[in-house]
Amino acid sequence: MTRAAVTVLLALVVAGCEKPLKPGDPVRGLTVAQRDRFARGKVVFDSTFTPHTGLGPLFNSTGCGECHEDPAAGGSGDEVEVHATALRGGVCDPLVQEGGPVIQQHTIPALKQALGIDSEPFPPSATARGMRTTPVLFGRGLLDLVPDSVILSYADPDDKNHDGIRGRPNRSVDGRLGRFGRKAFVATLAEFNAGAFLVEMGITDPTQPTEENIGGKPIPPGVDSVPDPEINQEQLDLTGDFVRFLAPPTPAKLDKAGRRGRELFSEIGCAACHVPTLRTGDSPVPALRHREFAAYTDLLLHDMGPDLADICLSLATPSQFRTEPLIDLRDAKRFLHDGRATTPEQAVELHGGEGGGARDRFKALPPADRAALIAFLKSL
Amino acid sequence: MIHASRAAALAAVLLTPVLTAAPVQPASYTYQGTIHVVEPHLSSVEIITGVGFALRLVQLHAVAATRIDSAGVTLRLRDLQPGDIVRADCRLTRSGLVADRIVKLGEAAR
Repeated sequence: MTRAAVTVLLALVVAGCEKPLKPGDPVRGLTVAQRDRFARGKVVFDSTFTPHTGLGPLFNSTGCGECHEDPAAGGSGDEVEVHATALRGGVCDPLVQEGGPVIQQHTIPALKQALGIDSEPFPPSATARGMRTTPVLFGRGLLDLVPDSVILSYADPDDKNHDGIRGRPNRSVDGRLGRFGRKAFVATLAEFNAGAFLVEMGITDPTQPTEENIGGKPIPPGVDSVPDPEINQEQLDLTGDFVRFLAPPTPAKLDKAGRRGRELFSEIGCAACHVPTLRTGDSPVPALRHREFAAYTDLLLHDMGPDLADICLSLATPSQFRTEPLIDLRDAKRFLHDGRATTPEQAVELHGGEGGGARDRFKALPPADRAALIAFLKSL
Repeated sequence: MIHASRAAALAAVLLTPVLTAAPVQPASYTYQGTIHVVEPHLSSVEIITGVGFALRLVQLHAVAATRIDSAGVTLRLRDLQPGDIVRADCRLTRSGLVADRIVKLGEAAR
């Protein structure tokens, strides 16, 4: 046996023996320096802010890890937040002038004392309210690197193939392709993170050195005494590295029923939107570059029917939602954008609009096949 | 230390006329975002910008010299609609942000 053949054989054996990645693990192949940044970023992610360290005046949580906690840092949580927008004449208004689109549910004591409020006032001009659960962050660094061209290749806004599945891209406020958030409103993971510091915790950073307003009105004098920015660029970058290096957990090994469920997932049409694998493009980080991973999303907007409809956001109409990546589904306790479903079965049965066909085929399956499909979903 | 202080003082004396004579350039900014409101009668435009879900409104004023165009075609302020994506090159004046150029990059979806 040649030396090359031995090397290949050894690599295959090592790959086969790799431990499965658990929720909260970093992606494989990071350098020592990158693993160090992952660890230091987790410290910032897990830290708790107070009014004396910049929290508020409005906030939804006191730290990233307060919401993204289950089953590990970067996971989901039981918090549900409030979003509000207005749809007028076919154009979506995120109600920035009234404190939208995220309506914070807590205030620091100084703001409560000044204005007598416990939460940001709900915008009077809103035409809809959206409730949002905490999304898992595992694998988001990989989703961030899927090339726009790949996402757009799945779009079929005019349903030219007549399968009833359209798929449209959303865009950010400055016109770039959106991919993060339940309505694919945010273009990059870095912006999603930086925006979250300000919107969720009221923490300013060098990219956003001014606080959110209070329902569209300025912060009363003396309420926010911490100088801006309240975190520095290094803290922001470390948190960004922690999040982007979070690996998608390795799906569980499938038994016979699970394998049957995986076949059915494609056969009944779930995979038309929940595209099983995506591949990243170029990246300066080799561990993230040209990586195929189990994504189960096309990152496009699909009409989910009137029963799930809530707010508009940029080009997304009230009934359009981005296909949720089915990453770490086995640890989920609530399903759909607002957590209204408590089991995967309920979530499938609540699909409407473009998801209605797959839902009906799921409901028509024999009980054993339905169970097999659910077993597959619970392996993810 | 004494030498350094003298050198600094000398440099300050020598450079003062140059610095004070230099014309003050207004700070310039470029914003790219979604048009929120257009008020042609006030020559004003509000743009939604921001990072992630943290959004901001930026108010600009158009003046007679403001160039407004899309793909090389000249537009009027009233041709812009809420929901359009624009890039605006502005400068900060005493009366606020004045746009030197507004380029329409994308249409509002209706």
